[in-house]
Amino acid sequence: MVRIGLFGLVMALAWPAQASISKFKLDNGMQVLVKEDHRAPVVVQQVWYRVGSNYEYGGITGISHMLEHMMFKGTESLEPGEFSKVVSKLGGQDNAFTSNDYTAYYQVVGTQNLEKVMELESDRMRNLVIKDEEFQKERDVVTEERRWRVEDRPGSKLYELFKASAYVNSPQHHPVIGWMSDIRAYTVDDLQQWYQQWYAPNNATLVVVGDVDPKQVYEWAKRYYGAHKPETITPPKPRVEIEQEGERRIQMKGATKSPSLIMGFHAPSLVTAKDSQEVYALSVLNSVLDGGDSARLPRHLVRGSKVAVSAGASYDETSRLESLFMVNITPSEGKTLKEAEAALWEQIEQLQQQPISEDELKRVLAQSEAQYVFHQDSIQSQAMILGSLVSIGLPTETYDNWVENLRQVTPEAVQAVAKKYLTRDKVTVATLLPNGEGVQTPSVPVMEGGVR
Amino acid sequence: MKQLTVWAFAFACLLSTQAWAKVDIQTWQTAKGTKVMYVHAPQLPMVDVELMFDAGSARDGDQWGVASFTSNLLGTATPEHDENQISEAFNDLGVQIGSNAGRDSASIHLRSLTRSEILTPAMKLFAEIVGQPVFRQNIMAREKARLMTGLKQKTVKPQAMLSDELWAKLYGDHPYAHPVPGTLKTVEALTVEDLKAFYKRYYVAANAQVTIVGAVDRKQAEQMAEDLTRSLATGEKAAALPQPKPLDKAQAKIIRFGSTQTYYTLAQLGVERGDPDYYALFLGNHLLGGSGFGSLLMEEVREKRGLVYGVSSGFYPMKVPGPFQIGLSTKNASAKEADEVVKQTLAQFMKDFPDEKLAEIKSNLIGGFPLRIDSNSKIAGYIAMIGFYDLPLDYLERFPKKMAELTKEDVLNAWRKHIHPNKMLTLMVGEPNVKPIEK
Repeated sequence: MVRIGLFGLVMALAWPAQASISKFKLDNGMQVLVKEDHRAPVVVQQVWYRVGSNYEYGGITGISHMLEHMMFKGTESLEPGEFSKVVSKLGGQDNAFTSNDYTAYYQVVGTQNLEKVMELESDRMRNLVIKDEEFQKERDVVTEERRWRVEDRPGSKLYELFKASAYVNSPQHHPVIGWMSDIRAYTVDDLQQWYQQWYAPNNATLVVVGDVDPKQVYEWAKRYYGAHKPETITPPKPRVEIEQEGERRIQMKGATKSPSLIMGFHAPSLVTAKDSQEVYALSVLNSVLDGGDSARLPRHLVRGSKVAVSAGASYDETSRLESLFMVNITPSEGKTLKEAEAALWEQIEQLQQQPISEDELKRVLAQSEAQYVFHQDSIQSQAMILGSLVSIGLPTETYDNWVENLRQVTPEAVQAVAKKYLTRDKVTVATLLPNGEGVQTPSVPVMEGGVR
Repeated sequence: MKQLTVWAFAFACLLSTQAWAKVDIQTWQTAKGTKVMYVHAPQLPMVDVELMFDAGSARDGDQWGVASFTSNLLGTATPEHDENQISEAFNDLGVQIGSNAGRDSASIHLRSLTRSEILTPAMKLFAEIVGQPVFRQNIMAREKARLMTGLKQKTVKPQAMLSDELWAKLYGDHPYAHPVPGTLKTVEALTVEDLKAFYKRYYVAANAQVTIVGAVDRKQAEQMAEDLTRSLATGEKAAALPQPKPLDKAQAKIIRFGSTQTYYTLAQLGVERGDPDYYALFLGNHLLGGSGFGSLLMEEVREKRGLVYGVSSGFYPMKVPGPFQIGLSTKNASAKEADEVVKQTLAQFMKDFPDEKLAEIKSNLIGGFPLRIDSNSKIAGYIAMIGFYDLPLDYLERFPKKMAELTKEDVLNAWRKHIHPNKMLTLMVGEPNVKPIEK
């Protein structure tokens, strides 16, 4: 399970596109995107379903992720675990991930094995078999995953709490992996329904990147995926986040030595924005604060005033629902959370009072332009960008036009979005404080070693 | 019900018909005597350049953390430029630069576009920060404070505790034993003079290697390597490291910590890079726990019993034998069961495993070989390793052939020779449901 926005994975941008993207649509509504990359005899196949935690509601949170786990547990013609074994025998790698807006399955294989993995993937699109015994064990696996990802990491727990406070009624209130009590209460029926409802060709996108011929991929896509009937897809009901009318604060104590703080502001995404240029301006703003060592937060707060041991910003421009502009900070020893928070506000107020410099703007563009070339070193990340854009309803060109759009951003536009969105009445602040726990000494009991 | 085609796997045929992917590695020495490893990858207008030194924490002596700190401070000042100027210059060019220190090596890696108006100034500044570093007192004090905060934070991170304990217990008084960033006490004691002395001894041409992968031709690559190493002192190679001693009996330790899971490892010394048995050990490990889904450990601990999200095993070959370890985390109430299943699985594997499994794993390793070298960053990682550990240049091509040749006996013999289940270290961090035995 991973969360990806264009930011953090890569930032796309306008550069003469290296390879054109071939787009097809099957008769049953499934979209097919193929991008050629002939550097190695390797190909990645990804199938993206438009379903994720933002499609869920109270009581079954995390079910998209649970279903992702069950997709490896056999079909009418495959035993549990056999899918991965077949891919492994082909010399391939396979896995899957679930996010707020989508669930995706992928295999990386030698070019000669593409047809086989297309056949396998199309099989589990409609022929999954969910056995109770397998489900019970896999649910235990997911509880272990939740312990490992969240329960024993105070920072992750704080983020979960922060999101639950920043979003009141939007489905973004709950974590992708789901709340523990919901995980424990899923039934096979819940999963069966969720599968039936969302796993259909007309709710899916096939993305193939690598050493392939697009026409050939299209022929195979018709043969394998084209055999499935479409479903009636009913989009989830709108659960538009309520207007925030004043600051929200939340506090958590955990097994940490350093206190820390997350601040977030409601902000539009490319999907929700009335004016998409605001999103590009926020993207520039994010880079000005945290785009490399010369950015403002590391420069002024870590190196300059030394109020922080670390400080950062993040903003997901490509969220299907409204996004958040976030900043975080860990104060230096001897500095309080209050001082750290004040230092963050000072940075925000500067952005509101003065336009950024032309040099800063140029720096953001240079980094974005280079990033665009760098990300092409990986067929996986090329496929990821295409799949994630299409899955939230954005055009594939979003990616190729990225830098062109950043170029339209002016210092005044950055100032304007800072004023409009980073306001004290729209902020959610979550703080983590030490609970005093540590290792209980003495701790040197000895048990029998060796193999029994 | 749709039947899927049954696919047959014929290795012999795979071997004879599949052309091995080739990586054309070129190597030479700079005027100063630095080894260069180079692969021409013309397809994308970018290049990866790495400068690596035999200057990891194994060279700390009793000043634990000095190697890591020295590596950390590169790029913070030169006689010509201060910290902000350096970071601005790199960011203005859109290049990515980062340094990294481990136990064996410390390296600085740069990724840049190959347009000359970008690459030329980027390489010039790269050469300046590695060849003429200035270690400033005020920057050192600031970074020390940040590091100390991080080291304190490590004491409440179960995975970090487990890892530090593993190295300490397996390596005793060997240079690999202590944590790479040092400890609160040793970091506190470090001075600017210590960093200068460490730099002077280890950041020298004879102790360095340059790796270049990307869209620059041989002539350009030669020039880049010369320019990068020109201002380094010639110096000497670092001395050979002592051999670590394996445990002479089984050991176990529990660190009590209030986490919801027990973080677990079963470990012993493995082999060094270049050990002839590594191929057989690697293949066996892939089958045991190195290949994710489908590996024996994953099947036994996760698929059959639902005890973990992840479990894996691995050899970490280094200048001298690195660890072999199996690792997992499971809720405290299943720690005992997980420990038993891991040990049973290992014992069973070393007794025997099905021929079919061997065939499957060979098929995976041979068929999956092109995936290991399908990007510039993967190729750069491999050739840096080949150069640093003096492996043969055809190491990569040889790899799938070796995998194809190995028999079950080869694998079992190698494992029985190197792995001793009755002399392994068992570590747990958490609140495991394991009764301590009072001594």
